[in-house]
Amino acid sequence: MSTTAIWTMVVICGFIWGTFLLLAWRAWRWESRKDSRR
Amino acid sequence: MSRGEHFGSRWGLLLATLGMAVGTGNIWRFPRVAASNGGGTFLVAWVVFLLLWSVPLIILEFGVGKRFRKGVVGVFIGLGGSGFAWLGGWVALCATAIMFYYSVVAGWCLRYLWGSVSGELAHRSSRDLWDSYAATPAAVVTHALALGLAVAVVWFGVRGIERVAKVLIPTLFVLVVILAIRAVTLPGAERGLEFLFTPDWGKLKDASIWLEALTQNAWDTGAGWGLIVTYAIYMRVREDVSLNAFLIGFGNNSVSLLAGIMVLCTIFAINPGAGSEIVGAGNEGLTFLWMPELFAQMPAGMFFMTLFFLALSFAALTSQVALLELATRVLIDLGLTRKKALLLAAGGGLTLGSLSALNMSLFKNQDWVWGVGLMLSGLFFALGALKYGVDRIRREVINSEDCELYIGRWWTVIIGVLVPLEAVVLMIWWLWQTREWDPEGWWHPLKPESAGTVLAQWLVALVALLVLNRWLARRTGGAANPEGGGA
Repeated sequence: MSTTAIWTMVVICGFIWGTFLLLAWRAWRWESRKDSRR
Repeated sequence: MSRGEHFGSRWGLLLATLGMAVGTGNIWRFPRVAASNGGGTFLVAWVVFLLLWSVPLIILEFGVGKRFRKGVVGVFIGLGGSGFAWLGGWVALCATAIMFYYSVVAGWCLRYLWGSVSGELAHRSSRDLWDSYAATPAAVVTHALALGLAVAVVWFGVRGIERVAKVLIPTLFVLVVILAIRAVTLPGAERGLEFLFTPDWGKLKDASIWLEALTQNAWDTGAGWGLIVTYAIYMRVREDVSLNAFLIGFGNNSVSLLAGIMVLCTIFAINPGAGSEIVGAGNEGLTFLWMPELFAQMPAGMFFMTLFFLALSFAALTSQVALLELATRVLIDLGLTRKKALLLAAGGGLTLGSLSALNMSLFKNQDWVWGVGLMLSGLFFALGALKYGVDRIRREVINSEDCELYIGRWWTVIIGVLVPLEAVVLMIWWLWQTREWDPEGWWHPLKPESAGTVLAQWLVALVALLVLNRWLARRTGGAANPEGGGA
């Protein structure tokens, strides 16, 4: 596999999966906070 | 309308909406389109349009669904007054027409799942199975089965949808991850990764790459179809819009990437010589002819083939449920009870979908006409928002006190300017392409995949909706219910 392909894979997958996991974690934190307030 | 029919939790809403967004298009269309349009270059354009089309429209749909708490016709009346009912009617008609033939696709997935589970595909070629099954009464039976399963879920309303999504969507994620891991660990899998991720930066100047990336986003995420509006009706009263919208967009595209890796690594590891031919074989060709052949050649192939068709069936069924709920909800808003509305929508689906199940030309025609029609749906959403005030929606609904992710003015510009522009350019491009595919018959209304058939069927639908506009508005109208819930 060429270096360019590896870097493209790392950047695209990192951005999409990373953002998804980050957002899911943030939503989970919001829900936990709401639950603890109840 | 009874109050109190809501998703039980935020995760219920998110999983149901992800189930709507993740469909067969993620598994059978994305890998093929990405690989044949410049790989890494296409992916860059695909990410750009995730942010310039899908996510802004998902935010809009969640926002207006939460604000007006009605199906798509009611939402358009809320946005633009009774004169806008026909725009909502178009969105509903487009999604319902897709539901009719999408059920046929879900039936194909179930048939191949049975072929894998029973071991039939171990001693029978996939081509033989396809030739003896597609466009026969057997395809009507599987279409009816798929529709019946969706009816069984929608019958119980939002609670039924939530319960099923909570099981099917996490399972689908796990299945796709297992299949992707198996695919990348096959000897020679790196050729598939190279095919998917190698960029050709010169192609960034090619307009068709950008248009294909926009099309993939429009068809793949379900943004602008009216389906998110339908689920947003059942959002809890105090619920965020923007963070949920980003999660759906990125979650959907995460599955697409996994599916791309899974499909292309499997193809290039098992049959590298035929890679380009397989990628060019079309959706049905790739999924129902090539994938079973490839799985049959790998160790424990029948097991992984079963997982593949199970994932595909789950993806198809959760999207089918959303499409059926949209049609049902519009009929409920017209005054029917849920059960009557559901049976009417399902009856129409069974009858008209059977015609597509028996005739592949009609299937392709309907896929073509209403697939392009979705661009018009996206445009109508932007027009509705413009009439109501895009920035007003942003301030009053999206950035409300429950907002967990502040949305700036960039969103107003995208919905007010970019989305209408993208929709118009895309529609003209798709219709223009038919001149190249068929220079002689592109205008002919009876040719299955021509500009003529699209314009003729759209014209009939739009005239009918304009005639029915007053009736639609009168039956659907009434004050919006900000407390939410459904009948």
